[in-house]
Amino acid sequence: MAATTLSLKQRLWNPEARLAYALLAPTIVFLAFFMFYPIIYVFVMSLYRTNQLSELTKFVGLANFVDRLTDHEFWMAAMRSVIWTACGVGVKFLFGMVIAVLLNVKYRGRKAARLLFIIPWASSVPISTLLWQWVYHPEFGLLNHTLKATGLWTNPPAWLGYPTSAFVACMWVDIWIGIPFFALVFLAGMQAIPQELYESAHMDGAGGWRGYFSITLPGLRDLILISTLLSAIWTFNDFNVIFILTRGGPALSTNILITSVYMNGFIDLRFDWAAVQAVVTFFVLTIVSVIYAQFYFRRETD
Amino acid sequence: MRWENRPRFIAIPLTVIILLLLLFPFFVMVSTMLKSGQDVYSSPPFWIPTHIEWSNFVMVWTQYRLATYFLASLIIAVGATLLNTALCVPAAYAVARLRFVGRKFALYLLLMIEMFSPVIVIISLFKIVAQIGLLDSYAALIILDALFTVAFNTWMMNGYFRTIPKDIEEAALIDGCTRVQTMTRIMLPIAVPGLVTVMIYAFIFSWNEFLFALSFISSKDKMPLTIALYNFVGRWTTQWQYLTLAAFLAIIPVLVLFYLIEKRLVAGLAGGAVKG
Repeated sequence: MAATTLSLKQRLWNPEARLAYALLAPTIVFLAFFMFYPIIYVFVMSLYRTNQLSELTKFVGLANFVDRLTDHEFWMAAMRSVIWTACGVGVKFLFGMVIAVLLNVKYRGRKAARLLFIIPWASSVPISTLLWQWVYHPEFGLLNHTLKATGLWTNPPAWLGYPTSAFVACMWVDIWIGIPFFALVFLAGMQAIPQELYESAHMDGAGGWRGYFSITLPGLRDLILISTLLSAIWTFNDFNVIFILTRGGPALSTNILITSVYMNGFIDLRFDWAAVQAVVTFFVLTIVSVIYAQFYFRRETD
Repeated sequence: MRWENRPRFIAIPLTVIILLLLLFPFFVMVSTMLKSGQDVYSSPPFWIPTHIEWSNFVMVWTQYRLATYFLASLIIAVGATLLNTALCVPAAYAVARLRFVGRKFALYLLLMIEMFSPVIVIISLFKIVAQIGLLDSYAALIILDALFTVAFNTWMMNGYFRTIPKDIEEAALIDGCTRVQTMTRIMLPIAVPGLVTVMIYAFIFSWNEFLFALSFISSKDKMPLTIALYNFVGRWTTQWQYLTLAAFLAIIPVLVLFYLIEKRLVAGLAGGAVKG
């Protein structure tokens, strides 16, 4: 008994461990103060009524949660978040896969093509979103002009002006940013698959699509899971695109959970509502992050 | 014939089509940025400017004071990068090389908070930043920008430290070096590619950061590029030729930096199977 307590103490407090704590201390202190404490504070805030200066005025228990969770707009925002994330990740995935397959074909100039494909991800999100605002401009924007001039769509909508088209337009910008990540991950995965596998499959008469489904996809399985999880987190969290393009409008049609946290707080000055949404969002994101971390960790330590 | 040689005649045209689609906003940017105001606001719009308005280059630096915003972005990004590196390198060394209770938990936690969204805590951060008197200061942005990449960068740096054979370090320890000396004189020089990667990542993140700057910066002189450009967009009078030119100039630095790290970034995000 005495020996085990002693060894535990030694394990906790030997020169090597002390050095480790010292090296970790600054990061932990900063994280504690600017990340962990703010999380706790949001939880506390969600249990209080707040005034317009975000001061806590009265403890109300779960009343804010009841208030929000029975609110129609909350569920609309939650539903939009689900659609936003599911459709967004799905389309990014498909585009990414197609691009990866294309880039895996050997031809002159594919390195240049690869660099060009990365640009939407490599650019600054807020700044390229501003560019999209101009692209979408109903009267002077070149998107609608090009659609009309080429005859692809003779009567395109004023994209950001109407609920459905605004949602689609915002989603497309988010998708556009997220495609290159999938493409790069899948391409790297494909290039790690030994060429001999394809060659022997080809001898057996399984080229093309069969080769893709029997060799490429299974070979990418882990990467598909991990990149989809990451992309889901990013997509769900995309505040910048919506805030810059529409601020959740028109008529709240692009209001998703993550943007409503900000809008409730800084625009409506309902900090208690914002806190409730933040807590809900926190739980959703934590679940996905745990799955990501679990999966990544297991693979790394295998 | 190799399996992958056949579909070339499909792949190239398809690549071109998708590229045209994905690069569309950048074509618009290039088309707009050297147009005259009259060309920008002509209906129907057109792609090729009637004449190249070189004076736009002068206007963005003089009337739009782009240099002020570039400088602000640079101060914030450099500050955040330095703070981030100072935090993540020692922490990464600890989790990569030292034995201590809670090491696994620390690694796990890093992965967990790697993708944490700042929006969730923005309302409480606002109060905290106000309380410590850092509203409308570079310091607030430097600290927060550095902090929200620290988990990912510690994780990345941990990966680099681990690829270094333990023997090198052990030999130095036997020769009488202290742990801190082996870290700074032996490990760090070998891990320079990793160090460059995390520094560039921290820089890019801060350069592109929008939410903190939007929430905490109010004076015009302190605005970084992202917020300054966002504020250029007025309801009626947005001069898109200047805005697109400013966007072009603001994107170039991060684009170049991103190309330097993209492979290692993807490897760090997706883990084991992808090598940087």
